[in-house]
Amino acid sequence: MMRFVVRRLLELVVVFLGVTFLIYAMVFALQGDPIAALAGDRPLPDSVVRVLRARYHLDESLWQQYLRYLGGLLQGDLGTDFTGRPVSERMASRWPTTIVLALTAWLLEVLVGVSLGLWAALRHGRLADRAVLLGTIVVSSIPIFVLGATAQLYLGVRWRVFPVSGTQDGWPMGFLLPAACLAVFGLAAVSRLMRGSVIDAMSSDWVRTLRAKGLSPRRIVGVHVMRNSGIPVLTFLAVDLGYLLGGAIVVEGIFNMPGIGQLLFAAIRAHEGPTVVGVSTVLILIFLVISALVDITNSLLDPRIRRDR
Amino acid sequence: MQHPHRRRRRAAVVAVAFALALTGACSVPAGDEPGSEESGGAQPSASSGTQPGTSLVVAESEPGDLNPGKQITAYDQVMALYTSLTDVATDGTVTMAAADSVTSDDATTWTIKLKDGWTFHNGEPVTSSSYVDAWNATAYGPNAWANSGQLAEIAGYDDLNPESGKPTTDTMSGLAVVDDLTFTVTLSAPDGQFPLQLSQAQTGLFPIPESAFDDLDAYNLQPVGQGPYMMTEPHQENEDITVVAYDDYAGTAPLTESIVFKNYADTSTAYNDVLAGNVDVAGVAPAKIATAMKEFGDHFYANPAPGIAFLGLPLWDERYDDVRVRQAISMAIDRDTINDVIYGGQLEPATAFTPPTEPGTPEGVCGEWCTYDPTKAKQLLEEAGGWSGEMVVTYPGGFGLDELYKAYANQLRQNLGIDEVTTKSTADFAEFAELRADAKLEGPYFSRWGALYPSQQNTLRAFFVPGGGGGCTNCSASQPDEVVDLLEQADGQVDQDAAIALYGQAQEILAEQLPIIPMFYEKYMFVTSDKVSDFPSSQGSPVWSQVAVSS
Repeated sequence: MMRFVVRRLLELVVVFLGVTFLIYAMVFALQGDPIAALAGDRPLPDSVVRVLRARYHLDESLWQQYLRYLGGLLQGDLGTDFTGRPVSERMASRWPTTIVLALTAWLLEVLVGVSLGLWAALRHGRLADRAVLLGTIVVSSIPIFVLGATAQLYLGVRWRVFPVSGTQDGWPMGFLLPAACLAVFGLAAVSRLMRGSVIDAMSSDWVRTLRAKGLSPRRIVGVHVMRNSGIPVLTFLAVDLGYLLGGAIVVEGIFNMPGIGQLLFAAIRAHEGPTVVGVSTVLILIFLVISALVDITNSLLDPRIRRDR
Repeated sequence: MQHPHRRRRRAAVVAVAFALALTGACSVPAGDEPGSEESGGAQPSASSGTQPGTSLVVAESEPGDLNPGKQITAYDQVMALYTSLTDVATDGTVTMAAADSVTSDDATTWTIKLKDGWTFHNGEPVTSSSYVDAWNATAYGPNAWANSGQLAEIAGYDDLNPESGKPTTDTMSGLAVVDDLTFTVTLSAPDGQFPLQLSQAQTGLFPIPESAFDDLDAYNLQPVGQGPYMMTEPHQENEDITVVAYDDYAGTAPLTESIVFKNYADTSTAYNDVLAGNVDVAGVAPAKIATAMKEFGDHFYANPAPGIAFLGLPLWDERYDDVRVRQAISMAIDRDTINDVIYGGQLEPATAFTPPTEPGTPEGVCGEWCTYDPTKAKQLLEEAGGWSGEMVVTYPGGFGLDELYKAYANQLRQNLGIDEVTTKSTADFAEFAELRADAKLEGPYFSRWGALYPSQQNTLRAFFVPGGGGGCTNCSASQPDEVVDLLEQADGQVDQDAAIALYGQAQEILAEQLPIIPMFYEKYMFVTSDKVSDFPSSQGSPVWSQVAVSS
């Protein structure tokens, strides 16, 4: 077991180094000088550009820049953006919004997704099942910016059910609509995953045995089936939390929520290497840690995973 | 998996160029021309005094730096907090604002007298040192303040920005304090347009109080100006900025008691919030004009701005050498129809090389070469020997320019009978700028300029003087010597009429040679809530202090 954990953590380090370098290299490779682009189409004087390039080490090679960055990172320093603000500070002011948004969306996925999936599975093959299947396909195939903009126009502007934008209404009203738009895709996946596992379990030998022993259907589903079919769904939900925390660029944009996604988007547009890499690094870390945890937990729950290695 | 952060990164891009161009104006009308000192309200709405309890909510993007010497995306906020020395109205009238007079005999040495009785929001009196110190700090190379270039003509600027190494001084030799309210500015070359350069959007020329220099980082978050509005607390990233009327303001009192500048990342979200009544003013992206006109009626505003859109020509490609080819391209494009179809008729087809809000713009100078005539266009192209090969119309992607450039391409294809006209958009502006700088664009291309100070000098320099705009992101690929000479002569005139005559001559040469094709005079577009009863503008931007709201 210990070997598995160590191995998994070593993998994490390698992936982390590889991915941060890749992102750094990609931002570096973007065409155009980020300092010259600072002022849009209004050129900055040469002397200003020169000082700023030196100040943010843009005159160094990719390797020098990356190693300097990595050095800072190991000391917990995420660097500064091109106006001198520390990236960690800029992120700190945005985490609350993103975390609340992600958790709200996640909660919706859990509650609605699991219940829908269970409900459909228990009515396997009937109209309700088909309706859930069709509904989730339709909703999750709408591009999120269409969904978000439409929801905002009708529920926000026309019918005034939810605020149009911003977080000033607080939780839950200010977060429900964007969270719902964000949750739609994961929700569809969760419900279908849940449906599939429950159907599998319901037709398994051990459920037949339980039935034969005279257990009530309620107890069979509520205790035994749920526990067994929960593993794939929980795995998915855990990984999905990582994605949700990854910042919902489109949804945060449409609903004007000052979160991590907006920061990342603005930084990409401005070719702001340190911010893009800083934000991505933290997101990658979150994602890697969550998936490592999931793998380790799964291996604890299911010895077969350990043996495969 | 279609998880949001893997999805379209560019979905929410609406119009950076457009937003960047929203350089506004905070005009405090007074007097009639440089040198006079008469004052009086010129805005039609200027009723007396601030209406208690009134407030205005304005959609903005995150402002970034607020120090006027550094800001590049906070024009509206900064112009509400400061008053410029001079003001140029939309019709080109130059008036004195914070300055009492700006005079010169030789266009090289300028004497600026300040109006008496002006104070900063912290009570400090505004003196000539407030300007001299601010300008020295803004120009000082190692500070790397973005608006440093606005001071580049002052004698001694180069000493603060040496080619390499640290400057040996931190003051410009061209600035001298005469007394508390008078200082002189010596330029490195004569420039009669200097009074216009002191106008509302050149924030690098705003004053900074002495106390600010103790902690410039704090000043960047809470700038203390001498304008109609003041900030009461430091700006925090992501938070709205609320400014309130400054009781001791020495200019025309603002009408609305407070203005909230609310941050939006996406202009269509801001638009929706105006529809819902949560926000009072928002800019409108060009793609949304038709919808906005329908949904807002009287509360849709298209303000003439000091911006002009051209179609650039890749003159490094010899197929464009013959002037008849260039004329044919210009005459094959139906500006009126494009304007009606794409912009709801709100823009204005250009007939000169500068926008009409710049004093003395010779409208119509482009004449028949800027008038749609497909028959003559085709004939000119044939006379020039026809066309062979591809013509790739190129523009920066992500700014909502697709429709416009596809329309140009279609008209060139149809009206000139060139089959191989295609369009190409770059990933973003930075990529476009690089291709332009390296002369690697393969056809007519995006070109525009929004002038920070409304003088023909500014627009013509940006396109036709080598290094004139500080770079060549937008400039014309050909910069005829005679045009450069005429512009230099014009700059040397103290008398504005003489300068205008010379700028006009330069434009006549441009019309003959057509190195770049005038397309549209730009306008800045806004929608307001019903609450806004009067929405005056100057040079395209709202005059925030004179916007009137009911209740």
